[in-house]
Amino acid sequence: MSDVIHAITWPEDLAFASHELRQIACQYRLTTGFLLDTLDRWAAALDCPEVRQIPGGAFLRLWLRRNTLEAVLVREFGQVSLCDQWLEDGHARRRAFPLGVVGHWPAGNIEIQPLLSVTCALLGGNTCLARVPNGLIAPTRLLIQKLHEVDQSGPVSQRIFMASFDHSRTDLNEAMARAVDGAMIWGGADALQQVRSLPFPHWTRVVTFGPRLSVAAVDAATWTDRHARQSWCRRIARDVWQFEQQACSSPQTLFLEQGQIGCDVSEFVEELRRAFQEENRIHPRSEIEPALTSAICNVRASWLLEDVENRGWFPASADWTILLGKGADIPEPTQGRTLTVLVVDDLSEVISRFDGTVQTLGLAIRDAEKEQALADVAGIHGVDRVVRIGQMHVFGSPWDGRDLVRPLVRLVRHSPSQDVRGASL
Amino acid sequence: MATRDEPVNSLADLEQAISALLDVRPYSVPPLERHAALLMLFKKELNYACARSPKFKNYVRHWPSFPSVSCIANLPYLPVTVLKADSPLSLARAGDITRTLTSSATTSQRPSRVVLDAATSRRLTRGVTAIMRDFIGPARRPYLVIDTPENLRRRPEMGARGAAIQGLVPFASKIVCCLRRDSDGVASVDLETLRSLADKWRESEVLVFGFTHVIWNNFVLPLRRKGITLNLPNVHVLHSGGWKRLEQQAVSKDVFASGVSSVFGCKVKRVIDFYGMVENLGVVYPDCEQGNKHVPAFAEVIIRDPLTLAPVSPGETGLLQVCNVLPTSFPGFLLLTEDMAQLVGADGCLCGRRGTYFRYRHRVPKAEVRGCGNVDTPRQFENRTVCLT
Repeated sequence: MSDVIHAITWPEDLAFASHELRQIACQYRLTTGFLLDTLDRWAAALDCPEVRQIPGGAFLRLWLRRNTLEAVLVREFGQVSLCDQWLEDGHARRRAFPLGVVGHWPAGNIEIQPLLSVTCALLGGNTCLARVPNGLIAPTRLLIQKLHEVDQSGPVSQRIFMASFDHSRTDLNEAMARAVDGAMIWGGADALQQVRSLPFPHWTRVVTFGPRLSVAAVDAATWTDRHARQSWCRRIARDVWQFEQQACSSPQTLFLEQGQIGCDVSEFVEELRRAFQEENRIHPRSEIEPALTSAICNVRASWLLEDVENRGWFPASADWTILLGKGADIPEPTQGRTLTVLVVDDLSEVISRFDGTVQTLGLAIRDAEKEQALADVAGIHGVDRVVRIGQMHVFGSPWDGRDLVRPLVRLVRHSPSQDVRGASL
Repeated sequence: MATRDEPVNSLADLEQAISALLDVRPYSVPPLERHAALLMLFKKELNYACARSPKFKNYVRHWPSFPSVSCIANLPYLPVTVLKADSPLSLARAGDITRTLTSSATTSQRPSRVVLDAATSRRLTRGVTAIMRDFIGPARRPYLVIDTPENLRRRPEMGARGAAIQGLVPFASKIVCCLRRDSDGVASVDLETLRSLADKWRESEVLVFGFTHVIWNNFVLPLRRKGITLNLPNVHVLHSGGWKRLEQQAVSKDVFASGVSSVFGCKVKRVIDFYGMVENLGVVYPDCEQGNKHVPAFAEVIIRDPLTLAPVSPGETGLLQVCNVLPTSFPGFLLLTEDMAQLVGADGCLCGRRGTYFRYRHRVPKAEVRGCGNVDTPRQFENRTVCLT
């Protein structure tokens, strides 16, 4: 099998790939049922040891299952979308059609992101031209090869062209931008700015998923409950560990609501320490950038030197760090499994200070009404996802406050020229 | 915690112990003997710092497994970046501070600031003198500074260049700066002065110092273009300040040394690169003739694996921690730098100097862009900003 990821040298290669993808899209329309079946078989093929080693591999398997993707389509387009039919819309009819070729610029920090991005476009009936960041080539190759195994005649896999080239190759980025009808761009502010400023044709629909951070919050009733404490701490640790705390959905700060007099917050943090140690035992790091080690050492020292009331728990290595203090402001994220725990009087007051930077708010709140009130405040103050702690990374639609597939289709309206009796309208 | 186990040491106790280490020849002490003396002294200094600074004490008391440590590598160290705080970390009384030194901040854009009192200043001078004497001998000699005179002036707040120039003054019988700044602020060689000095100093020992990139760009290249050789065979050319700018110009260490030696008309081995930093005052690391950097009796280096932060084995590269007993005016005893170095050996360099020896590699590379979770710019919302500091 030739390499499923194409090393690109010339701009013309991207133009040619786009031309072929457009032809495929016109010549072979896939039914939604066939697409979902193929992706479901791909999900099954991902159940293997080498994929389990890829961070997020298990999640990708769940994401590609028919049940998951069907639910995404039904939520965004209604039940009729599964039947590839026109939807009655008053006197007219409506149906979604693909934009054409969708270009993908995934972020370099999430191994499965190129494929998450691609599946969103495929669900809209599009073909895909994706740039795979250099650091993600190996996991992406492995994952896409599994699709080729289950899709040997190629109706789905031929709709995806994976390209690799250095991000500094402006000419190739520009050629790719010129060749697409839609674009999904993920990543940090600089990367986003760079890609967004490429010469896309005027009709290209550009969807961006920019940098965000996420936080968690636990009310006093929950963290002071000795029976529930352990499982919540494990969930927090899992959310911190996944994607090395580099994802936009990774919790960087945990707000703890001040308990009544006599409730010792350090008991909770001790439990959290045990959960971090256990998670570290199960998922030890195999490498780290020296700059991240420096940043971790620095934040530990800065935190403890800043205020004599501040506390910290960490091993001699840079494996994980818990910092405890007071305050309602979100500290600058360090990542690298560094969680700042801040004790606050009122969670609602903290959330009302958010400014749109926070993407996901993970919650553990005993009282449902209180949680509803916090979700309302979060929504007003720019939070796009309010989820249970332990599920902060569950990718789904909507994401970052918008649908995942809908922006990548055209909604075509057909107002029939004949009335039901055959007379001209 | 140390403060529970040991009595708080007075500055006089520390002074005595530090002096004892400064009195021995810097590269003569066997490693084990040196380690025991340093461990005891570092513990005392940590103890002293905890008594002087509640914030520092808060840091030390959270250190894993401290105070039951039996080696220097397990003592609580500070990352050097904490010295970049707006208000310098100080252990000295405000009235005792005689000078503040600032780093060049070429990489971080934010300088470190360290405060000195009279006692620390004296020790730092003794430290540098002891080290340099081992490399260039004790005699005073003409001192040619490849820099402009304004960097030579002693001021209450002094930069890294000024501090480095001042550090070699004890070896000077006469000091001359050979660069002049024109009205546009461009520094160039004062050729007339330089030629007359070269004639005068031809037969004598001469000490030359400059920052690496200044020597290359403002001295060697202009003189080479003019075809000038100074014929000063007995010169020692010391330089420091890092290689970042010269690497960008594709100038290697070898190319630099041969370029400098050809301009001065001296042997290549008389061109000595040394590693030093404002935060580690009093300790400099000149290259020995084997190309290694040696740790003097009053200091230590620990090179840490970035993954485990444990000390690496000989041959391995990691984050460089500098340990230095000399400062008592700021907590600069044990500092994790943002430099990468290779541990060459624990003892037995062919140059004959005892103790740990290593090679500087490079600055810690900047972290890769970290994707969708890399929020470094807070959003503006009305008049309020989410505080990310």
